[in-house]
This record gives sequence, C-alpha cells and structure tokens, in this order.
Amino acid sequence: MADKIKLFVNGEEVEVEAGKNLIDAVGAVGIEIPHLCYHPALGADGNCRMCLVGIEDGRPPLVPACKTPAQEGMKVLLDAEHIKKIQHDVMEFELINHPIDCPVCDQAGECKLQDYYMSCDQKPSRMTVPQVTKNKKMDFGGGVIHDQERCVVCGRCVRFLRQITKTGELGIINRTDDARVNIFPGRPIDNRYGINVVDLCPVGAMTSSDFRFKQRVWFLKKASGVCHGCSKGCSITIDHNKEKNKDDIIYRFRPRFNGQVNGYFICDEGRLSYKSENENRLTAAFIGKVEREISDVLTAAKKELEMSKKAVFLISPDASLEQMVAVKALAAKLGATLSGYSDGYIKKGDGDDYLIQDDKAANRQGLLLLGIDTTKESFEKAVSEADLFVNFASDLSRSYEQDALTKLLTGKKTIVCATHESAFNGQATITIPVRSYSEYSGSVINCDNILQRFEKAVTKNNELLDICEVAAEFGCPLQTPAEAYAELQQVIGMLKEYQPATIPAEGLNLNDSEAANVTA
Amino acid sequence: MSDRSQLISTGEPFEFDKKRDAEFERLIKRYPTRESMILPALWLTQEQEGWVSQEAIGYIADRIGTFAAKVYEAATFYTMYNLKPTGKYHICVCRTLSCWLRGKQEIVDYLRDEVGVTPGKKTEDGKFSLEEVECLGHCGTAPVVQINGEFYENMDVEQLKSLLATLE
Amino acid sequence: MEVRILSAKFDVKNSNQLKTALKHGAYENLDKLFAMQPAEVIEEVKKSGLRGRGGAGFPAGVKWGFLPKDTGKPVYLTVNSDESEPATFKDRYILVKDPHMLIEGIIICSYAIGSNDTYIYIRGEYTTQVKVLQEAIDEAYKAGYLGEKVAGHDYRVDVTVHRGAGAYVCGEETALLESIEGKKGQPRSKPPFPAVAGLYGCPTIINNVQSIASLPFIMKEGADAYKAYGTEKSPGTHLFGISGHVEKPGMYELPLGLPLLEVIDKVAGGVWKGRKLKGVIPGGSSTPVLLPEEAATTTLDYESMAEHKTMFGSGGIVVLDETVNIVELVQNLINFYHHESCGQCTPCREGLGWMKKITQKILKGEGSMADVDLLRELCDNIEMKTVCVLSAACTMPVRSYLDKFRHEFEAYVTENEPSVAEATEE
Repeated sequence: MADKIKLFVNGEEVEVEAGKNLIDAVGAVGIEIPHLCYHPALGADGNCRMCLVGIEDGRPPLVPACKTPAQEGMKVLLDAEHIKKIQHDVMEFELINHPIDCPVCDQAGECKLQDYYMSCDQKPSRMTVPQVTKNKKMDFGGGVIHDQERCVVCGRCVRFLRQITKTGELGIINRTDDARVNIFPGRPIDNRYGINVVDLCPVGAMTSSDFRFKQRVWFLKKASGVCHGCSKGCSITIDHNKEKNKDDIIYRFRPRFNGQVNGYFICDEGRLSYKSENENRLTAAFIGKVEREISDVLTAAKKELEMSKKAVFLISPDASLEQMVAVKALAAKLGATLSGYSDGYIKKGDGDDYLIQDDKAANRQGLLLLGIDTTKESFEKAVSEADLFVNFASDLSRSYEQDALTKLLTGKKTIVCATHESAFNGQATITIPVRSYSEYSGSVINCDNILQRFEKAVTKNNELLDICEVAAEFGCPLQTPAEAYAELQQVIGMLKEYQPATIPAEGLNLNDSEAANVTA
Repeated sequence: MSDRSQLISTGEPFEFDKKRDAEFERLIKRYPTRESMILPALWLTQEQEGWVSQEAIGYIADRIGTFAAKVYEAATFYTMYNLKPTGKYHICVCRTLSCWLRGKQEIVDYLRDEVGVTPGKKTEDGKFSLEEVECLGHCGTAPVVQINGEFYENMDVEQLKSLLATLE
Repeated sequence: MEVRILSAKFDVKNSNQLKTALKHGAYENLDKLFAMQPAEVIEEVKKSGLRGRGGAGFPAGVKWGFLPKDTGKPVYLTVNSDESEPATFKDRYILVKDPHMLIEGIIICSYAIGSNDTYIYIRGEYTTQVKVLQEAIDEAYKAGYLGEKVAGHDYRVDVTVHRGAGAYVCGEETALLESIEGKKGQPRSKPPFPAVAGLYGCPTIINNVQSIASLPFIMKEGADAYKAYGTEKSPGTHLFGISGHVEKPGMYELPLGLPLLEVIDKVAGGVWKGRKLKGVIPGGSSTPVLLPEEAATTTLDYESMAEHKTMFGSGGIVVLDETVNIVELVQNLINFYHHESCGQCTPCREGLGWMKKITQKILKGEGSMADVDLLRELCDNIEMKTVCVLSAACTMPVRSYLDKFRHEFEAYVTENEPSVAEATEE
C-alpha cells in the first residue's frame, strides 16, 4: 500500500496517496482540479494553466497542480474567489479562438472545455474581434482527422506519439496564437496505436474517421468489455446503441484504464475489431443447408450426439472460462475428446513490445489452466478416430486451408456452433449460431495471467444462444452460469474470495496467488 | 507572427554540399546530443540555399535521426529561417520601439512606393524582398536596416536610396 | 559621468584581436585565478555584489552557489547573449569590441563553478557579431587560452557558439537551454532550476554577457574596486543603452545610482529637437513607463526603480518626446510581445493576440470604453499565470500606459457606441 499523507483542500482535511501530483492525489478522493494538458500517462507539461491552484502560505502562492507534488500539511485553495477567477480567465482564453460549433462537433458531450464552461459561469463571449483562422478537416492519416481551430494546443497527441509510440508524427508548428498541430508533409500518422490521440484529445480537435458523425455520444450505452483481438485482453469500454426500430449495434471500442493490463491505451486493430461484432454474423440455424428453427436444430444435434460412438469437441481459445468449463464438463460426461487446438490464432512476429501480442486468442491461458490439450497431433488423431466433430466457435479457417479441412473431416458428422458466417459452416451437418463476446458476460485470462471479467454489452433483437446454454441443452452437468462459476472456483483458488460482480475492474493477477499452481 | 506551416517543396532531393557537410560533422562533435544540431543544420541549409525547403527539413531530420515533425517545429518557430526563397537582396527593417520612434515607417513607405516591395513580398524582378522584423538590437543607432545580414544604422530614406543604388 | 571599466578597450582600434587585447591586459588574471580555490573566486564575486545584468538583477555569486555538489554530472556554463529586449543593445558592444574580455570571464566563471563546457547563445540577428566572436574564440584556442590546458594550467575550457534564429523568448534562460537542445524555445516550469537540472539535465549556470565580462575586472582589481562604483545595494557599472528621442542616442558605461534625467540631459544630449519630455522607459520595453515628474526623482539603480514601481531591467532607456502617440506605442509593444509569444501557455498565447486586436480596434476608432476597460482587465488576467514572464513583460508596461495615459485611449473611443458589456447583458 502506498503511503498516505494528510493535506487540506479548501480548509478540509483529506487523506491522499503520497508521491502523486495534486491533480491525481486529490482527484483520487473525488476532488477534480480542472486541467486540459495533463494526462497521467504522459506526465505534466504545464501549458494549459487550467490547473493553477492556490497554496496558502506557499511560495509561490499560485502553482500548477500538475507540476506540484502533494505534500503533508499543504493547504490547497480551489474554491477561493481569486482561484475560481483564474480558472474562469484561463478558460476564457481557451475559448476566444475556439469555434462555437458544438452542435456539429463529435466531441460534444465528452468535451472537457464544454464541461468546464458549463460548470463555470457560462458567461457570454467578450470576443468582439476576429478569431484566428486555421485549417479544418485535415487528414493526418491512420484514421485521424484534425481540426486546428478546435485545438487547444495542449500537446497531448504530440507527447503520446513521442513518448509512447516513439513515432513522432505530430508537432506543434509556429508559435503565438498561430501555433497548431500538424504532420510533416508526406509523413502521416503511421503506427498501430495512432487513434489513441482521438481519446487523448480533451476537445474535438482529433476525431476518428471511423466514428465521426455516426452517433451523438450521449445516446451511447457503455459497457465494460475486454478486447478479444489478442491475448493481451485490453480493458475496453464498448459503446453501443439500439436506435428505434433497429438492432443493438456497437459504434466504437475505447480503452478503459487498467493499470495491470493496458494502462490508458489500446491498439488500433483492437479498437476497430468492434466491426466484426456487428458484421458477417451467423444468425440462423441450419440442418445441412436448410434453415430451421433453433429448437429443431438442437433436437437434431442431440440425436447426433446420442448416435455418436466417439466424438471430438473443439473449443475456441476465445471462449470464456465459463464456456470452457461447461464444454469440458459436457465432454467428460459424454466421453468425448476435448481439444483447444488453435495454432492458427498465433501470428508469429506480429506482436510488439507494448500491447500487441502474436497470439490473437483472448483466453489461451484459460485453456492451459483447465488442462485442455491444444496440440495439433492430438487433435488430428482424435478427429481421425471419431465419427462426430463438434466445434464450439473455434475458427478453423485460421489453422487450415479449406481443402485440408474438408479432407480432415471427410466422413464425419459435424456440429458447428459459430458466431460468424464462414464457408465451413455450409458443409456442416448441423449449424448453430451462438453469441459473440459482446453479447455475454464472462471471464478470460490474458497472456500475463491476469483474469478479467467482462459484462454483456449488446442484446440483439434476435438473441442467440450462448455456448454455455448450448452445452446445457446437450446435457452438460453445469446447467447454469452460477454452476459454471462455482466449478471455476474449484479450479482457481483465488476466485473463492470473489463473486463475478466483485472481481476488481483491473482483474486478478493469478501470478500473485497460490492458485497459479493449478490442479485441473 | 503569421502562419508558417505551409512548406514549399522543390520536388528535388536535398543534401548538404561538401562544405556544409564538413561543417555539420565538425559541429556535431560539440554537442552531447544529436538533436542539438537542429538549429545549426537549419542555418547551414539557409547558408547554402538561401532558404529552407520541405525536402531540406526531411533531410535534416533523417541526418540527425530525429522526427521530421521536430525539425518542422523548429523551422517554423524560429522566424529567421526563410521558408520560401527571398529576393537577391533580403531587406529586414526593424519595426520595434526605438526604430519605430525614429522613423522606420518612412523607410517602409519608401520601399513600398519607390522600390515596389511590401513586407513578406519580393519585387517582380526578384531583386529585393522585404520583411519587417522585431528588434535587431541596434536601438542606439535607430532606425536600422539589415540587408543580407549586414547592418546599416542611422538609416533614413536618402541613405537607403543611395545604398540600394549600389546593389547590383 | 561616464566611466570605463567594461568599455575600457572599446575605443582601441582592433580591440577584438588577440594581439591588441593582450597589449591591454587580456588574460592577465589567469595565473592568479588558478592559484585560488574556486570557492575563493565565488566569494570574491559575491563580495563584489555583481548582479546579473540580463534584466532580473540576481546576484551572480549567489546564483553560482546554488549548484549542487558532486552530482557526477558535468556542469555547464551558458552565456546568454540573446539580448532581444527592445531598447537593449549593450552586449553587442562587448561581443564586437572586446570579445576576449568575455572569453576571459568565461574562463574565470568556469573555474569557479567547476565547468569545462560553455555554450554562448547568441541571437541569430547578430550576424556580424557572431563572426567577430567566433574569430576571437578561434584565436584564443590557437593561443592556448581555450582548450585542454587553459594558459598551460591543468584545466579544460571549451566554448561553443550556438546561434538562435529569431525568438525573443530564448533570452529566458530555460527557453535558451531548450533552444541549445534543438527544441523550440519554450520556457520550462521551475522547479527544477537550471542550477540543479539545466542543459541536458545537468547542473547549469546561465549568465548574461555583461555579467561574465565584468569578472576580469573584479579578478584584477578586487571586489572592493568594483564596489567603489555605484551604490551600496547596486554596486558597479552598467552599459546603459539610451535610445529614442534624444540628441545623442548610444551606449554609455555609467556607475549605477545616477539621476535618470541628468543622464538623459548630460550624457545623451537631452530630448531631441528641443521638444518636451513625455515619458521615459527606464530599462527596456518591458518596464513600466515613468512620467517626467516620476523620472525626475528616479536614479539609475535597482532600488530607486523599484520605489517608482518600475524596473532597472536591462538598462535600456527609451526617451519619449511630446509627439509620441501612446496608443500607437502600445500597439507597437503588444505587436512585439504577441509576435514573440512562444505559444506554450494559454493566457499568453491567446491573450496577447486578443490584446493586439482590441488595440487595433481602438486605433481604428471602432473601440468602445468597454474595450479600453477590457484591455486593462486582460493585463491582470494574463499576468503571472504563465510559465515565464514574457506575458508580464507585455502587460506590465501596457498597464502603465493605460493607467498614466488613459485619456489618450479614451480619445479614440467613439462615445455613442454601446459597450460590449451593455450589448450582451440581457
């Protein structure tokens, strides 16, 4: 635990963590000091001057909170009239050359400048002279669109690209009120994390070409998710909305702070992976190539399972722990061989030393922890000896060419539970559409052995079955999510102290626990 | 200050000539970091070409091993770097306090009316370009004019007239 | 009234050349210097009361004492020759007329503070000056006064000239450091102060050219000889620049403490063309203006200036005659500071441009009384809210003109126009 110190804010004593600057220290106990340029991941710059606070008996008496370490006994003034006036004055300077285009600005609703103006005094503008004009709708590359006039020149974007990605595509050009953010001509934003500058921008100067004009942010519902783009499992916020007479759709993924996993950022590929939750989804159930009611299809599937002498189950490495234990329990009951083979999810050399991992599976650690075999040899041997192959949402096209797959499964009955359309589905004896990860809640373990919980974000008009429900239909002994979770608690000792709802937002580091010594 | 973000591309690759190349290598040893060479390298470029093009900025960045955006920042922040070709004679008239008090405006008016050049522009024949600059540090001998780096102090219209007449 | 301490060799022909400089005593102090302990040198400079001649007037010896000991990092000396404050043109004379005095000063300071590497930051506009300075440095290297063994002593001093490129703000010491590091000249937040973490993150002392150039005299003649000039609290001499509406503008070396008006009359020949005095800017364009009656009781030292709510600054005195249009003068000043705002801190970046446009509006006859009030209010709203004092360098003088010559602003304001406040208060 970090050391605590006591200081005074507006005369009231508060206990805060030592070693932090004033913004973070008092922010952690719910007192917000206005700021634009400071960002905890990028350090203090001190250019916006919004965070100027008074220090009683201090020398100097006025300091930028971002640059000032919280100290024992410090008397911080935030609501004194002269400090409030400074905040108002600085905000006025930020606003004089800022276009009043909130009605058409994508940032409206999540704009710091707008928030501060609303919480300040909402006085009319005193700007009666022409504003500085700059460039608008600049394509900076990497899916980032820039509006120089909205920019408050806080430099967060510039610092991100210099400090975090170390690619340095942006600079602040000129000086005076002509200062503006720009790329060097011909060298656009070109890195795998560039769109984070859109989130970092405290105003509407940086917008995402993917998201802009699609949705007003106040209509978006937010859910805590975990990115399934790779084994890092970055914490995300899933922003989705169901417009009248339409289906529930995801509009964007944004990074959700997680100090144990991804910090404040996510990669662009993961960010844009929301699209595959909306698109190309399998929604109908089939027997052969004929679309049928789901109840008929389940009945047919159960018949196949009863008739089978030797079945092989394949579970996706993206499946949640709950789904994995359910399918495992089902396999055990039916005497089927269970495999987690998914080598094709691993793209050797694609990862970097930051967030992106070679392994594109969200829960391979889960497979390992549950003792599910993932080798190709075992999988192919089991298939060759089986008469029925049941695939629980694993994307085999990543591991096999179509011909090789057809050859492997020749002469077998196949039941496919799939989230997305694919050529392989059409060849299956039975096809069952299932929910994808934004449509159920569950837990996954990332490459660093951090177990995270994510919540159900989207509820489709035509709600599909979850893999757990399919397993239950097939006779799994774990009939409810609660039973599946109880089973998990048997396997992962650390979980015994937690219910799904009480797992901390930053997840559980299984390395910290004796439960790392898994007995599957 | 006016916007200096519009760089001009020559369409030709840039590199230091032999002399500047040697000077660059000599100077870089004087600093513990390569980025300290950003300003000197921009000066070498301006010495060589008379101005700093988009290609030159890219070249300097690559040569130093830094981001082009950083060199772009410096080139636009420091107003003495010419980001477009100047006239054969680049006239800088100081417009600040003491020069203003002692009649710099008459000089600027003369240049506009009789020479045909206004601040930020060139004469049609490309002989003269004019810039009104901030304090040149010659306030005791104001007004002062700087032409291609040479100072001319205690200027007035008559003196400027005879001076310009000597320039080929 | 004039004295010749720093300017002793200014009238000597070819005084910039080593041969001539040596004849006049250059580098004479080095044997004495290296026989002393560095701490003794610092003590002597402290005793002399030499105050930083860049504008802030901070005691030089005290500044050196802020250096942390034994950090394991190199200590840098940086000589501030950015001299960009309008009405300031003193260091230029040292660079051209007696560069070896500066180099000797650098050696003295380097030894005192334990530095081996000096960067002289010289403003880009000083094209001919940088040439002369570089030639002097080259000569000093050749003659062994710079380099591995300074004058045969076991002490290394290397000097590099770094040219600015047109940015007033680089005279601010941390902006200057940024500029040497290849960045935009944007001042750093302090703390940490440069003495602790300066150039390349190492302990750094930054002194003005004139301060450093004063060291050879102090070394040679001793602190007491230096203190014999000037006043008790403002000892020594200063290179004053007198410009504007006087008969004999120029650079004059004077002891501190002389009466301001007497200097204008006797040294600079008085207000030109027999005109009346309207005001005096006492220490560079950023210092608040003095009315004639205020100037009458002002003496040229730090204390008297402070009593008159202005500043000694760089010692750049500007004389304004009765014909000066104060509103136009304010426009000229704001244009300058706006042009030079580094663009970092919001109040300065946005505020100075706003002030500039309001003044334009008033000058065009389109302003209202509310605009005059707003201009005055913005001075308060901007000042001291920023990392450095560039914004204050604009607002302090502008406030003084608005307070002392308000009637001239009001004369521009059309009386019928409703004020902004009235128009929007509904």
